[in-house]
Amino acid sequence: MDKPAALGIGKGPALNRILGDICLEVSDGELLVLVGPSGCGKTTLLRCIAGLEEPSRGEIAIDGRSVVDVPPRDRDIAMVFQSYALYPHMTVFDNLAFGLRMRKTPAAEITRLVDEAAQMLEISHLIKRYPRELSGGQRQRVAMGRAVVRRPKVFLFDEPLSNLDAALRQQMRLELLRLHRRLSATMVYVTHDQVEAMTLADRIAVLKQGELVQVGPPAELYNQPCNTFVARFFGTPEMNLIPGAIEGGEFVASDGELKLRVPAVGYPAGPASLGIRAEDLALKSRAAAGLIAARVDVVEHLGSEDLIHLDLGATRLVVRCATAGAPTRASEVFLHVPASHCHFFARPPGVPDGARLKPPAPAAPLELVS
Amino acid sequence: MLALPLLLATKLVVWHAYTGGEEQALEQVVQTWNKAQRSASDDPTLVEAVSIPYGSMADKLQAAIPRGHGPDVFIFAHDLVGQWVAQGLLRKLDDLIRVPPTLAPLVPGSARPLTDGGALWGLPLSLKSLALFYRTDLVPEPPRTTEAIFALGARLRSEAPGQPRRYGLAYDAANFFCHAAWLHAFGGSIIPPGGELPRLHTPQQVAALEFVVGMQQRGDIPEEMTSVLVTQFFNQGRAAMVINGPWFIGEIERGVPYGVAPLPIVSATGRAAAPLTTIEAGYLSAYTRSPQKSAQFLSYLIGAEAALVRARVGRQSVTTLSVWQHADVQRDPVLRGFYGQLGDLVYSPTHPAMRSFWDPGEKALRQGLRGVAPDGALAAAQQQLDRYLRPPPATASEVPYLALLSALLLGGAAYAVVRGRRQRVLRAAWRNRDAYGYLAPAAVAMVVLTLLPMFVGAAMALFNYDSDGSWRFVGLANFTSILLCRDGGCLQPLSFYFTLVVTLLWTAANVVLHVLIGGGLALLLRDPLLKLRGVYRMLLIVPWAIPNYITALIWKGMFNRQFGAINILLQSLGLQPVSFFTSFATALSANIATNVWLGFPFMMVVALGNLAQVPVEIEEAARLDGATRWQALRKVVLPILWPSMLPSILLGAVWTFNMFNVVFLVSGGEPDGATDILVSQAYRWAFSRGHRYGYAAAYAVLIFLILVAQSAVMRRASDHDDQD
Repeated sequence: MDKPAALGIGKGPALNRILGDICLEVSDGELLVLVGPSGCGKTTLLRCIAGLEEPSRGEIAIDGRSVVDVPPRDRDIAMVFQSYALYPHMTVFDNLAFGLRMRKTPAAEITRLVDEAAQMLEISHLIKRYPRELSGGQRQRVAMGRAVVRRPKVFLFDEPLSNLDAALRQQMRLELLRLHRRLSATMVYVTHDQVEAMTLADRIAVLKQGELVQVGPPAELYNQPCNTFVARFFGTPEMNLIPGAIEGGEFVASDGELKLRVPAVGYPAGPASLGIRAEDLALKSRAAAGLIAARVDVVEHLGSEDLIHLDLGATRLVVRCATAGAPTRASEVFLHVPASHCHFFARPPGVPDGARLKPPAPAAPLELVS
Repeated sequence: MLALPLLLATKLVVWHAYTGGEEQALEQVVQTWNKAQRSASDDPTLVEAVSIPYGSMADKLQAAIPRGHGPDVFIFAHDLVGQWVAQGLLRKLDDLIRVPPTLAPLVPGSARPLTDGGALWGLPLSLKSLALFYRTDLVPEPPRTTEAIFALGARLRSEAPGQPRRYGLAYDAANFFCHAAWLHAFGGSIIPPGGELPRLHTPQQVAALEFVVGMQQRGDIPEEMTSVLVTQFFNQGRAAMVINGPWFIGEIERGVPYGVAPLPIVSATGRAAAPLTTIEAGYLSAYTRSPQKSAQFLSYLIGAEAALVRARVGRQSVTTLSVWQHADVQRDPVLRGFYGQLGDLVYSPTHPAMRSFWDPGEKALRQGLRGVAPDGALAAAQQQLDRYLRPPPATASEVPYLALLSALLLGGAAYAVVRGRRQRVLRAAWRNRDAYGYLAPAAVAMVVLTLLPMFVGAAMALFNYDSDGSWRFVGLANFTSILLCRDGGCLQPLSFYFTLVVTLLWTAANVVLHVLIGGGLALLLRDPLLKLRGVYRMLLIVPWAIPNYITALIWKGMFNRQFGAINILLQSLGLQPVSFFTSFATALSANIATNVWLGFPFMMVVALGNLAQVPVEIEEAARLDGATRWQALRKVVLPILWPSMLPSILLGAVWTFNMFNVVFLVSGGEPDGATDILVSQAYRWAFSRGHRYGYAAAYAVLIFLILVAQSAVMRRASDHDDQD
């Protein structure tokens, strides 16, 4: 029970009609976040793991043991639902104790475990209340307590924080992290919120339309998105994408007005997009070689920093820069595009997401050419 | 100028309960009369015929005549003449019409039942009696004796051995009105000569019942016949002959060749079976403003011209003898048959005690047909009849009741004034006068339609309805008589306590099964991915959508001992058929089965609606928490569902407690009133045990009190649940 479990999912095609091929492994004590836009199948995948839905084929294994034919109650899994799904006719204590009672735990042991879980989640003072007498955040804690109290092999979270307000969500996010560290349990966490995914995950699995797009640690997904979908999904604001083509070791923007050329030595020639994050762009107040003149369209003040929206003919770019010395609206600025931070993606016609283009094996030092 | 004679005209209103051909005939007679009056006289007497439903005629007469709103002339069966005379509703005819000289000769004796205290109170217009209907394709010449009928039945059976059994004769053997014909053939009568009151335990009664039981045992007549089955058997050719009245003509299917003959001679006694006969007579209201002219119209009605129309168009067995010689009437096979019956008939007794007679009489018949020894069955029924004929409770003084009532009213008024003043009710009411204005129509409707009848009904419980039709104050005598079982032992099927226990059993069994089946189906239908869910749901609601009396009659048919679907099924499986209505357990089960069928869709719909409020995730959470599907249901879904189901269950319990239709139509209280519930028992006290309206009203008050108590207890329980 105390040993966290590894979880392996999916071999072979099509788990069911919502999900396509998915092959995913979660190692002991790992917190994997399933992320993707709504309707991508992340909740379905979670429910398949829980046993609430049956995959039409394929394999789901916990600790190397297949659980496809095991009923949910024998999978030793706890799930926290988006709606909390507390038992409205039971007190908090009974809600927490229900799973233990179903497993015929002795009464004294139940009291001890429930008290422990309640303390861990700081709900000891609510133990005699009914769910209807609790606030949203308190209910959330009870729902987590109900999962924690049983010490299951695997925890599943189905967007557990989405019904909370922003401040509470941030607080619970931290607590969840602490909880994970404390229990060092295997957890699968579903969310559509990329910030939640980035902050919580040991690894993130990105799903799109039932297909697994990319799996990796948050930094990897942020820094080396495997295609434009992942690139755009993570990071606020979205990564800037400039359509163009790679010809002769150089990326040239296809927008005629935008005179942008970036060296792309070793990348395959053909239509491509250049991706660059807002924080990687730099603005200069004076014109210089290699800088692109642009007009400031909108300035978004975020407090410590500003988002500068630039108008470059047909292309719009966002630049993040410190508030101090930020340009004002309608002023003219000069944009610096550092080649070292550029991502290149293929731009196959008719396909929404272009795959990341691999850079040449030995990364040659890049130089800016104008 | 043209309107002048009409303005001068005297108008006579005639009430009747005719429908179909009989109504047509009367209208024709009235038209002829009016035409003749208009052309012949400057002061015409014009008649207007008003049709009143048969069932409400007696009540309407009683209500309208003393207030002067009634008819001048009315036509109705003769059973209530004695009562009407006592109530002073009728005008004596002796000084207006001299019977033998001024009228055409009548069927002998037909005016005698209309005399009371030496005076004539009505003119006999037509006779309604039973006769033998036979299928001319199966019986070319109607047999004259019972032996011949039985022989014919045996022959019919041997002719078609493989087919469903055919009978020579079928009739509603448990109906005492039919049975009386045999009683008369055995020399008996309902009110024995020299006696006042009807009697059941006489040697002739025993002989007649033994005769009928013998017929059934030998298979000469089918078992458990009802009027519906009799009609069916005749139309399908499964019975060559049936005993029935003129009303049966309308039930015979087109294309079935039939004739009518007099009832047969009972071979054992050599005497003809003489049916009980009702006289339809014309009466004069005691309050008519033109007795002379009304009498003239009555004389016209009974005269040869009008009687011929009534015979030809209305196909009535008229009392006017000359009509029977008319060629058209002679040619009519139906009328000829009924004419033959005129020789042997017995006029229905008019004694008020007759109202209490039919219930025990038919109980004896049912018991005998079920295998109880006729002598014992009749003796028991006689005891019951004696109980029904027990003298009514003594008059009580109103003074203490009125004193109590006025004290209560005064106290209530004082309380209202004090409370009202303290809480400034009037000022508040004035502020909200618009709201009260909007509420007023509904409030008035509630008072008129619900509260007043309730108070009148409750007040009735303190009165006795005497045989002369008047109400007499008896105080709480009805209640004490019910609660102290003055009408027999407390453990007897007719006692209040026995019926109460049966009612509680019936309610509990029904509600439990309704909830189990309805709730179970709702759980099955809940899965939104279930294919054809909408179709199943619709099909399952069908029993609820069909009017419940139709369903009840269908089930009654299915439980029939000989021809019901259930017994046919049992027999095809090689099992013994079950006679459902002869034992308490099976009869109650039959009632419950019917009502469960009728009631589960309601619970299913309610449960489906309430289940929609229970999120699926909660059940899933329970299953992940280690509960099996069954545990999740029992520990999580049902406890959440229960509080929202409770009001519907309470409602269902009240409905079932008062589910008159099913009990009345399926078991009809059989055996011997044991499966009656409180409401059907109250109904029987009011309508088939001698119009003990006050007694029945006391029953109703008790039922009301029980339901109020039950609701209070269940409300308490549900409130308690909520507070937990």
